[in-house]
Amino acid sequence: MATRDSLSGSDPSVRDRLRFARQSVGERLPTPGEGIVGYVFLLPAFLLFGIFLAFPIVYTFYLSFFRFEGVGDETLLWIDTGFFSYRLTSIADLSFVGLSNYTRMFSDTLFHQAMFNTTFILVVQVPLMVALALLFAVALDASFVKLRGVFRTVLALPVSANLVAYSTVFLLMMQDAGLINYVLTSVGLPAIPWLTSSFWSRMTIVGAVTWRWTGYNMIILLAGLQNVPKQLYEAAEIDGANRIEKFWYVTIPQLRPVLLFVFVTSTIGTFKLFSEPVIINGGGAPLDSTITIVQYIYQTAFIDFRLGYASALTYVLIAIVSVFSAIQLNIGGESDA
Amino acid sequence: MREETRREAVWQFLTYAFIILGAVVTLVPLYWIFVASTLKESEFLSSTDPTLVPGDSFLSNFAALRARDNVQFVGHVGEMTHYIDLGPIYIAYDFWNLWNMGAIESSIFVAGVYTILSLLLCSMAGFAFAKYEFRFKQPIFYAILATLILPIQLLVIPLFLLMSQIGLTNSYWAIILPWLANPLGIFLMRQNMRSIPDALLESARMDGATEFQLYYKIALPTMKSSLAALSIILFLFQWNLFLFPLVILDQGKYTIPVAINQLVGAQRVYYDQIMVAATLSIIPIFVLFLFLQKQFVSGILAGSVKE
Amino acid sequence: MLNTSLRMTNNDRRSVGRRTVLKGAGIAGLAGLAGLAGCVGTGDPAPETTESGGGSTESSGGSTTTSAGPAMADEIEVWGWDVAARAMDLIDDPYEEANGGDVSINQIGRADLKDRFKSRLLSGTGAPAASMMESVDAASWVDTGGLRDISGWLEESGIKGDFVEGKWGPLENDEGTYALPWDIGPVVTFYRRSVMEENDIDVSSVETWDQYIEEGKKLPDDQYLLNLPSNDYDGLWRMMLRQIGGQPFTANGAVNVASDKSLQVARILKEIRDSGIANDLASWSSGWFTAFGDGTTASLTAGAWMEGTLKAELGDTSGDWGVFKPPAVESGGSRATNWGGSNLTIPAQVSDEVARRAWDYMAYTLGTEESQLTMYREYGLFPALETTYESDAFDQPNEFLGGQEAGRIYAEIAPEIAPYRYTVDTPEVTQAINSHFRDMMAGDKTPKEAVDAAAQQVADRTDRDLA
Repeated sequence: MATRDSLSGSDPSVRDRLRFARQSVGERLPTPGEGIVGYVFLLPAFLLFGIFLAFPIVYTFYLSFFRFEGVGDETLLWIDTGFFSYRLTSIADLSFVGLSNYTRMFSDTLFHQAMFNTTFILVVQVPLMVALALLFAVALDASFVKLRGVFRTVLALPVSANLVAYSTVFLLMMQDAGLINYVLTSVGLPAIPWLTSSFWSRMTIVGAVTWRWTGYNMIILLAGLQNVPKQLYEAAEIDGANRIEKFWYVTIPQLRPVLLFVFVTSTIGTFKLFSEPVIINGGGAPLDSTITIVQYIYQTAFIDFRLGYASALTYVLIAIVSVFSAIQLNIGGESDA
Repeated sequence: MREETRREAVWQFLTYAFIILGAVVTLVPLYWIFVASTLKESEFLSSTDPTLVPGDSFLSNFAALRARDNVQFVGHVGEMTHYIDLGPIYIAYDFWNLWNMGAIESSIFVAGVYTILSLLLCSMAGFAFAKYEFRFKQPIFYAILATLILPIQLLVIPLFLLMSQIGLTNSYWAIILPWLANPLGIFLMRQNMRSIPDALLESARMDGATEFQLYYKIALPTMKSSLAALSIILFLFQWNLFLFPLVILDQGKYTIPVAINQLVGAQRVYYDQIMVAATLSIIPIFVLFLFLQKQFVSGILAGSVKE
Repeated sequence: MLNTSLRMTNNDRRSVGRRTVLKGAGIAGLAGLAGLAGCVGTGDPAPETTESGGGSTESSGGSTTTSAGPAMADEIEVWGWDVAARAMDLIDDPYEEANGGDVSINQIGRADLKDRFKSRLLSGTGAPAASMMESVDAASWVDTGGLRDISGWLEESGIKGDFVEGKWGPLENDEGTYALPWDIGPVVTFYRRSVMEENDIDVSSVETWDQYIEEGKKLPDDQYLLNLPSNDYDGLWRMMLRQIGGQPFTANGAVNVASDKSLQVARILKEIRDSGIANDLASWSSGWFTAFGDGTTASLTAGAWMEGTLKAELGDTSGDWGVFKPPAVESGGSRATNWGGSNLTIPAQVSDEVARRAWDYMAYTLGTEESQLTMYREYGLFPALETTYESDAFDQPNEFLGGQEAGRIYAEIAPEIAPYRYTVDTPEVTQAINSHFRDMMAGDKTPKEAVDAAAQQVADRTDRDLA
């Protein structure tokens, strides 16, 4: 934790020398603390952000108070200088509907179903994946493990698999007579209706997403483990702690910020789940039990052409994810991650 | 003592068993993608008796993939029709035309350019947040962080509109520029840069370094391993983008996910070709991993997340 | 623009200079150009200044020429998928030879084409000069207001009456007509000759579904008469409903999914499932094809276009297939219905020149007997152009179908097909039917409860009334 404050612990003579140096250089250098240097460094990011994301964000918010009536072609702005001409047309015919896009969500049962599905997948998948990632990280961090690099690469590889391909593979493996059920039945277990029962089809999504992202999170956690001071383990050993105690009382607390980071980013990722259910479950089958919230919004916008409602749903989704993240950050302790 | 050694042995055995089991479970689907790419479609889709032994149809599947008329997965030599008579500018143009990029090259190119530019941008922004004080610093930082939760699939229509207004449709820039200011990247760089001692920067200032020199002569070199780690994250992010590239790029510029999706026909899914394409598309990432994974782990990446 | 400098074609090079200027203007325009008030107008300028259609490379402003005459763009781009795109390729050269111009066909996967076309329609820019549009999607695409009214040209050309009447419904609204019909899918039942013969089933004596189900019981336990896939109940339901003249919506837009006719169809589907003659394999899955190949599933009721697919996928069964008109729902009832079919449509956003070229191309490709028959012969796309039905192209013995003159059967069915009311809410009907029919098949709902629940669901989600 070498931050600004850690300087206070350093040799005072260094500080004095610095102060002296700063004074002698005088006003020639911008003093960190004020000034515009920070803004200058931020400028590129800010410009791109302002151009490419601000407009979609603001426009989506604007749309959420309207009903889409059709594609517009009314001219808003027309420039003709003789050298070139430019015409900006209105994007859409809209009629103002106030908050009704927001209020209708309360009675939209498919939206509730999509929220339920997403939350269900989230509640099962994120803890499962983080737990697995943590266990793998701790196992690989053990000093006696050979071929660490190989295992690390292997476990992290799924994240490179193409989305369509890996979803297709899961689709094929999870068929009633697919590879997984073949394995299950050949060891005497009953076959599971992975794609046809509401419960198991959600578990299939959980499995697919967990398969893909566990290794990625494991690597982040593994990196966190490198930074746990070895002295803490030594001290715990002197106190007679066993492996499990060391895990609970040293590793977990030391890793807390990293774990928090992994939890928050995974939660956000799962909330944005879209392609896997589309490919594996063919868009929400069986009986809308796997339709996710982003998928539902996408359908509302692209199939039903209800752009206003879809925009309102987008904002509600953003609000929900923010609340979730805020809660996790609060439970996790330091809000300034 | 002996008791302890035995317990240690059991423990080591369990640890290995767990890791190996994990590795196997991880590899089976990947291995299956590979196996499927070497079999005829009817062979690997046969549900009664799943095969796990590679066959010999890889090349014929690959040939079928290359023969498709609506998607080009791997590039080919371009037509060099106008190159000598048109002067130096057009020689350059035809130099590029030597090779017509397929989806694999497009993806590598786009993800590569994106990664490099985004590293630059994120590290600059991270440096600003970590080492400078300015008004509204916290609110700006949190605003950027908040964009992490944006579901970009849902911004497709306004983004497309914007791109067409500024003439970037069917341009690789359209899928590079919008997310260059990557919130995760900025966050991670800020966390990392905070560990650079102020004293180091101060003494450089005294030596007359400009603020920009502080950034690229001091901050960047010390951040090598976090930059490596971040580059994997950024590369994968761009590598996996699907919906927006699909909407904005035309045939001939497809990235891998879009190209693979063209193999899902109206009446038929070409699984064999999908598997070949998927196998090939894993290779670049595998290479990237091997190349960067040392830094990735030893990287200050997560250490910096810690506060 | 890196990509253009990297991959410019010879043609692109010409327009680079102009594009740069336009790009600058684009940014200025977005930022709100108050300072340029002198040359900023808000009236509707000549429509010719809108975006040039196929130009995915150019963002805004085509040429500044305002020739309002019948000029046609030289180059246009048309989108289509799979076989349809290849069929258009076939007509490309003859068209260019006859009428000039340069039409490029862009072949895009079906789902991807829809995503891409819709997003370009909604954002009002970047759409091609013309695109394929399925009849199922037509109503909702028309409803976006993003398609061009072609009724003027249609009237001028006098070809409207040449097409099958039932095809126009979803392509029109109160204000105009938005697409030209391409093909239709007259429904027939494809069957494996050898399987039927071995089991003593005589399809020529079958007139109704009840009879067909009875015949099916002659098959051994491991063979099925047909496939009733749980992912596709709506397809069969729609097909049969149309056959008996049913409609999912009433003329004034109320939900009619629970009508007597719909219930009648639901009962037949339930009977098919309960009688044990139906296989349950997901449509288009590989297992689905395999079952037709080895005779596990003996017949398939589908649009005529299915012939091309079967031929491509199950080539070694060639000659062992036959077709007959689909069984009637009740004795003496109609044996004509439709499954599938597409159209070509022009987006409203393209310039007049581009649209004129697109119309010219469409009229040539879809409105002339010769082109339509070429596409039928090569790719089995059955024309919606009724004037072709007299052609002897339909009297050719069909090798794949055991020498049967199948084309004639299609041509007999085609004019009999009843119109069907597709609406913007057709996707809702699809979902509701599939969901509740699954419950019905599982025995959790009676047919009556299933159609009622489906109707209620559609009404709830679309704010429509129940009929």
